[in-house]
Amino acid sequence: MSDAAPNVDQLTDPLDAGEPFQHLHPLSIMLKSVSLLGRNIILIGVLYFSLFDQNIFYTGLAALAIVAIVIGTTALIWARFTYQVGKKEIRIKSGLLNRNNRSIPFDRIQDVSLEQKLLHRLLGLTTVRFETGSGGGEDGALDALKLTNGEALRDTIRDYKSGVTADAANNIPAPEAEEKTPLFAMDNRRILIAGVFNFSFILLAVLGTIAQNLDFLIPEGFFDPRHWIETISQQNNLNGLSMTARIGGVIAAIGSLVAIGFFSGIVRTFIREYGFRLDLADTGQTGFRRRRGLFTLTDMVMPIHRVQAAIVSTGPVRQSFGWYHLKFQSLAGDQSGETDHSAAPCAKPEEIDPIIAETQIAELPDGLVFEQVDQAFWWRDAVIIWLVLKIAALGLGFFVHTGFFALILLAVPLIAGQFLNWRYHQFALTENQLFVRSGWWKRKLTMLPLRKIQSADIGQSPLDHPLDLATLTIGIAGGSALSPLKIMDIEIQKAVSLRNQLLPGQTRTRERPVA
Amino acid sequence: MTETAPSSSVDIPDLFRETDESRLYNQGLTPLHPPQKSLLRLRAAIRAAILVILAGTGDFFLQSELGAPGGYLVGAALIVAAVLVFILPHRIYRRWGYDMGTEQLRILRGFLWRTDTIVPFNRIQHIDVAQGPLQRFFGLSTLIVHTAGTHNSIVTLPGLATADAEDMREVIKGHIRQDMI
Repeated sequence: MSDAAPNVDQLTDPLDAGEPFQHLHPLSIMLKSVSLLGRNIILIGVLYFSLFDQNIFYTGLAALAIVAIVIGTTALIWARFTYQVGKKEIRIKSGLLNRNNRSIPFDRIQDVSLEQKLLHRLLGLTTVRFETGSGGGEDGALDALKLTNGEALRDTIRDYKSGVTADAANNIPAPEAEEKTPLFAMDNRRILIAGVFNFSFILLAVLGTIAQNLDFLIPEGFFDPRHWIETISQQNNLNGLSMTARIGGVIAAIGSLVAIGFFSGIVRTFIREYGFRLDLADTGQTGFRRRRGLFTLTDMVMPIHRVQAAIVSTGPVRQSFGWYHLKFQSLAGDQSGETDHSAAPCAKPEEIDPIIAETQIAELPDGLVFEQVDQAFWWRDAVIIWLVLKIAALGLGFFVHTGFFALILLAVPLIAGQFLNWRYHQFALTENQLFVRSGWWKRKLTMLPLRKIQSADIGQSPLDHPLDLATLTIGIAGGSALSPLKIMDIEIQKAVSLRNQLLPGQTRTRERPVA
Repeated sequence: MTETAPSSSVDIPDLFRETDESRLYNQGLTPLHPPQKSLLRLRAAIRAAILVILAGTGDFFLQSELGAPGGYLVGAALIVAAVLVFILPHRIYRRWGYDMGTEQLRILRGFLWRTDTIVPFNRIQHIDVAQGPLQRFFGLSTLIVHTAGTHNSIVTLPGLATADAEDMREVIKGHIRQDMI
């Protein structure tokens, strides 16, 4: 079947006959073997200590065998993996025993990204990934091609999508020569600023995980608070210290935690955003082209008409310094695990405006009045928080330790936070766009053209019924499945009329959006 | 559909007032095909039977191993089973409603957790008409529409007469356009 299929297809589609099936770059055998072997080093280590009783000769032999098997298999897989770039689709044939013949029509490809890991960069190779937006998973990847081939492939797809025929495309001189000024770029200073606001305890979490997994290296009871309380109370030297010294110690501990938080945020930001550059790729179809990365260089092109919504996020501190993060919601998720495509991680409003201007999304009009959601948004939660904490505090306080009565104090920050969240949850509707603001700590402004709305839900929970409230949930392509765009706790009448304005209803003449 | 498609959107909220005619449990939308109620009841009966059997086993062990007075667990399970089989299916059924507009599909379901979904036809990516063995017995089908949205990527409407579901599919198919996203 595997041999007959391409012939049949080539007969039925004579246009595609020109391009032969191609192999990936031979060096990709090496790349894949290295990454596979890296994972198998542990296995060899385990063998060394267990089966071979620390005999270096047998271990070496086993290692050689593993290397041979890995390289052999990888080479076989490579030999059986071919791809063909047709006029309208890319076909990938793969599989050792179970042959898989996949065709990805250019029409269905949402965006093409080139990714270069460190080794790839040294060898001048790149991984080409195709996103078709089907169910989140990876749809097609060519790992790896020569960088120039990868770029050519990306341009072929882009040209096809813009309706440029291959002949015409050949006449257009390669646009790579001149680099126009980028739409947005970040220098190291800017990345540093972004990193400072990316304060995170992830490094601490990583250290904790390492400590947990290597706990045989750590004295027993290291993570047991009782152990520490015991030790500390036994040590008189602590009691002997003056009050100021103790307070100083606590401050130093908190300070070092904060320092770790800042440091890990900055390092993470540098690794991801280094050399951030957003261009307007106007060869053929207009799109945003984003390049970034310190070790793993990614080069992604997102067609502008695929942009579903623009999201401007910030935080209370960041906003006071005037920094915002612009993201675009698109059907295909970002490679780095973010749900939205980051277009400007740390930018001033005047830098964001020209980027948004390139899309079909209109900026926030001056003087647009935002509507507040119902007060129940915070007071209902306040009642629930208060009740839960009161029960917990009373129960634990009476039966476990009187100190737990203090639990009730938690209500103050929680309720205050919810009140602030209410203040920042607003929405506004213009003729063809919806604006939704949410969150006090994670401030987010979503700008959504109405024609990108896929569905709309009005939901009521049992607690909504007595207050006649409802939550409007809007289905948009892309974005996180866990936190869809919501307008929470508005009156049911308002929700219904708002939904009628959002969706091109029967009474309106249907506007046919130009995709 | 005339009730839900007035010229001004302000009239719609009337339907949500729990008065007079809107006391109709599904706001006057098209109810599901009546055999759906029997299907819901059959499914509830299967679930109730499992529950009663589990309770019976538990009861037996409590009695034989611990010497606890028997019958309470089974009794409670029987009450729950009666609610599941005789009361709930009707109540679930009457809260369902759908409406095929000229441009959009509206699906209403649930009471405590009520959800009212509207999917414009031209946002639908593809459609399935599905039928399970129990549904086939009652001549029912489920209409499944897929949208490009991450939220509501699959909207299901169970309990349609198979012929109706297929008609609806044909209607919607005419509105599907390529490349909406």
